[in-house]
Amino acid sequence: MSDLGPADVVTPQVRAEATATMGTRLPPAAGGSSRVHRSGRGKKLAVYLALVAFSVVYIYPFVVQVSTSLKTNGDAVANPLGIVPDPLTTAAFQRLAETDFPLWFTNSVIVTVCVTIGRVFFNSLAGYALARLKFRGRDAVFTAILAVLAVPGIVLLIPKFLVLNYLGIYNTYPALIVPLLVDAAGVFIMKQFFESIPPSVEEAARIDGASTFRIFWSVVLPMARPAVITLTILSFQGSWNELAHFIIATNDPNLFTLTRGVGQLTSGGLGSGNQYPISMAAALLMTIPSAIIFAVFQRYFTQGANAGAEKG
Amino acid sequence: MSTADTVAERGTTAGTGSGRAPRRRRRGDGQRQSTAGWLFVTPTLVVLGLFLVIPILMAIWVSFTDWTGRGSPFSSRVGFVGTENYQALLTEQGLSRQDFMISLRNTFYYVVGVVPLQTVLALGLAVIVNQRFLKGRTFFRTAFYFPSVVSSVAISLVFLFLFTGTGAVNQFLGIFGIDGPTWFSDPRGLIHLAGQGLGLWSIDAPPGALADHQVMSLSLWDWFSGPSVALSAIMLQVVWTTAGTFMLMFLAALQDLPTEVEEAALVDGANRWQRFRAVTVPHLRPTILLVVTLGVIGTWQVFDQMYVMTQGGPAKTTLTPAYLSYTAAFGQQQWGQGAAMAFLLFVLIFVLTTFQRFVLRDKDEAAAKKARRAQQRAAKKKEATA
Amino acid sequence: MTRTTRTTALVLALTGALALSACGGGGFEEEGASSAPASASGPANLTMLIASSGDAETNAVKAAADAWAQKSGNKVTVTVASDMNQQLAQGFASGKPADVFYMDASRFADYAKNGSLYPYADQLSDNSDFYEPLRQTFTYEGKQYCAPKDFSTLALEINTDSWEKAGLTDADVPTTWDQLEAVSKKLTTKDQVGLGIGVGIDRLGAFVVQNGGWWLSDDGKSASADTPAVTDALEYVQRNVKAGNFKMSNQLDSGWGGEAFGTGKAAMTIEGNWIKGAVKNDYPDLKYKTVELPAGPAGKGTLQFTQCWGVASDSKAQAQAVDLVKSLTTVDQQMAFADAFGVMPSRQSAADQYKSKFPEDAPFIAGGEYGHGPINAPGMEQVVADLNSKLESFGNANLPQVLEGFDTNAGSALGQ
Repeated sequence: MSDLGPADVVTPQVRAEATATMGTRLPPAAGGSSRVHRSGRGKKLAVYLALVAFSVVYIYPFVVQVSTSLKTNGDAVANPLGIVPDPLTTAAFQRLAETDFPLWFTNSVIVTVCVTIGRVFFNSLAGYALARLKFRGRDAVFTAILAVLAVPGIVLLIPKFLVLNYLGIYNTYPALIVPLLVDAAGVFIMKQFFESIPPSVEEAARIDGASTFRIFWSVVLPMARPAVITLTILSFQGSWNELAHFIIATNDPNLFTLTRGVGQLTSGGLGSGNQYPISMAAALLMTIPSAIIFAVFQRYFTQGANAGAEKG
Repeated sequence: MSTADTVAERGTTAGTGSGRAPRRRRRGDGQRQSTAGWLFVTPTLVVLGLFLVIPILMAIWVSFTDWTGRGSPFSSRVGFVGTENYQALLTEQGLSRQDFMISLRNTFYYVVGVVPLQTVLALGLAVIVNQRFLKGRTFFRTAFYFPSVVSSVAISLVFLFLFTGTGAVNQFLGIFGIDGPTWFSDPRGLIHLAGQGLGLWSIDAPPGALADHQVMSLSLWDWFSGPSVALSAIMLQVVWTTAGTFMLMFLAALQDLPTEVEEAALVDGANRWQRFRAVTVPHLRPTILLVVTLGVIGTWQVFDQMYVMTQGGPAKTTLTPAYLSYTAAFGQQQWGQGAAMAFLLFVLIFVLTTFQRFVLRDKDEAAAKKARRAQQRAAKKKEATA
Repeated sequence: MTRTTRTTALVLALTGALALSACGGGGFEEEGASSAPASASGPANLTMLIASSGDAETNAVKAAADAWAQKSGNKVTVTVASDMNQQLAQGFASGKPADVFYMDASRFADYAKNGSLYPYADQLSDNSDFYEPLRQTFTYEGKQYCAPKDFSTLALEINTDSWEKAGLTDADVPTTWDQLEAVSKKLTTKDQVGLGIGVGIDRLGAFVVQNGGWWLSDDGKSASADTPAVTDALEYVQRNVKAGNFKMSNQLDSGWGGEAFGTGKAAMTIEGNWIKGAVKNDYPDLKYKTVELPAGPAGKGTLQFTQCWGVASDSKAQAQAVDLVKSLTTVDQQMAFADAFGVMPSRQSAADQYKSKFPEDAPFIAGGEYGHGPINAPGMEQVVADLNSKLESFGNANLPQVLEGFDTNAGSALGQ
């Protein structure tokens, strides 16, 4: 049996096709338009002014977050608008290190990694089967998954607790992870993507006698790289930022994730009084991983937003 | 399953062994596909079944019982109470109905405020960011989108700080001589405040005509409160956070806008606003409707902000059905009522989105037709001028 | 074709794992019918859930639990709840509650009613040593369920710097409502209000008690908020709020009275002895003194707050749990807690020791004699929450209407 490396099969043309269906929008052709000259300076100025105003509104809260985390509580209360901490102190971070924050962070990482890997794998498996494999009941399965999309997640809070409890996995890592492993929108995105890949690619491998899973794993999946990355990002975002599910899945502080733990810092977790530097430091630390992922995969975030939109 | 599996197995083994027998291979392939197909979807189906279908069924049962969270909800000690929980929420005078109605009122104002605002803001940002002459477009797009990827908990903490009574927002307002409210502890409704500002009434002594008439456990005065100042602060936060995502959708649609059409309109001598109204907006209509639908579905479910920031207060003005159902079950052990609320919310969202899909479908076609016609006209114009 | 086999095996294994976790069910357990304490054989592994006021309390409770564990050969894990109500509720509903936990008086009746609590008070040899009103608080349908942990009362805290600046002396300490109004007026400046009061009936109730009223009738079976005794008391406060002599903490951008007091937005506040720790941590420079609340038309009155050591009826080691509670409620242990985080012992035999050790707490202890416990009838939580929410903008609340509404709601909750 010949070994089918992904690179052998994926032609540039296929790649382009695939990317196109993912909704990558090429930037509009640069320059050239005569309108540039027509639009007067006034317009440009107005647009830039609006942009600067909006940018301040959008960026300033994050600036405040960073600077407040380095302030003393008194300074934070007295100068909430000020950017320069006086005095500069890392006391908030030290205090945070004494709380369960490191534990929450670890739990969030564990859960996010498991959920993301699981979700990408299971969703692409199902998406591939629904797009490509002929089996009886396929349409019914697809319809069922579509119907699931219509159920608003928040109404499942109580029901999910009941089931987790009934299964005896309440207060365990599986309770945090397993219910998040599959998401119908992800299946839908993958299915759509796989449908855009020309069947001829698999045909070749099939004639070579490769198993279905092998065709999926080493031929089709590598071609779906953009979709897989999009799904990875959506899963990461979804599980890192999830709150409601973690509230109902456990009441054991050892299993608290960042959202759960930090969310309760405000409601008395720090004793009396508002400790703004600490809550800002916590918010900052839980934002950093998102920011890193965002910076690295920025391009795909754009697609993710739109792919997520198409499910509606 | 195992039989099919072995057959498939044998089929392929034979196939590789003896220089390929096409017919057998094909049949084997069909079975193999069938087996693999089911195997591939099984994990998904198991998880969805376990954590979606079964939970819904269990919760339906619970919503018809008086289970207080002790022991199994299926034990003989749990009483079946019929539609009592639903009646308490909908038809019986009492606290449960009052709270549920308050939560619906709050969320109604929340949806009516957030959805149009975030749609307009998103569209505005998209149009600005889409300007071709603009330098640093990517930077601005990134800045506007970034809040969408950050945890709602982290953003809530930041906004709690920004909106404290002596916080950044009020200090900023103070520069203009405005004495800002104590945002998150101010339960006064915006409509009430506006009326007072116009001299229509005083909040301390509401007009009897409104205050004395009760509809569904709330006085008319309470129904027409508008969102409270606290809820408005949350609304601002949510608009700020989500506009970025929707901006990207608009941006994608804007970049699909055929340049010929615009150029034709330009030749027509239409001014910028006319062009935007006549060409851009019709082209964007499907996206606008999509954004509105997604917005409505999302906003009716609002929970995180209430959990982290206000816990339903001040004076219940940030109570939402999702949060109320959570506290009824997990706080007050009224699991039946909590489950019943969740279902009523489900039905509400379902009805709203079905209605919207219906509207969306019609408008979609209309918009497509309109766009086609505009394009044809543009093409003709172009020919004529050429 | 080993690959197919491997694939099949892989997918099967994954599905199997899911299915297995599914079938391992049985999270809900039926409660046993026997009332004899469940006793774990061998060393028991107990869990304890507490709502801590800070590191001092957490460490003290942990140390006490460890000491018992050492002595008895069992193990105790102390967990600090970040949201006590919810974590307790989820624990009961999942059938896996903590074995021992803080049980607040206002939530007690609901849990006693639905059978979550294991009644063990009859196993305490010196039960009568606990203050009678506290034992009464933890009695449901004639049965005392648990041992009172400690208690606290409300008193009046006065910022002594502001007091002197306003030209007031020790002779001016208010003992009547009129005097309270007068000194508040004198203490009120541009940046500071005379008296800052926390939101809700857990503070306003003190005035109601001083006026001889209460939200419920004495037997707790009917509502009595819409009566002159209650209305007049609240109107007294409201009048002063409108006049600017008093302000509620939410008008002062504070989460509670102590915050308004500590940040100097209020010259006086009404809080319990927990304010000592808060001031020490958050506002160490603040100079203040504590006096008894002024008497109202019906005499002295304050509110009493208390918690008990709850033991779960779902606990697998009830015998060990009760033994742990016994060790936590000895006079010595209660005094150790008092030392560490300033709570007042629930045992009468510890009173003298406490008084001589903490003379400045005399006003709080005095409240033990005339304090009123919280509303603790089952099903009242939602009703009380509703009352509190309607009193949130206290200055312009329509009191007669609010109180009438409370009576209606309470009536239907109690009638159930």
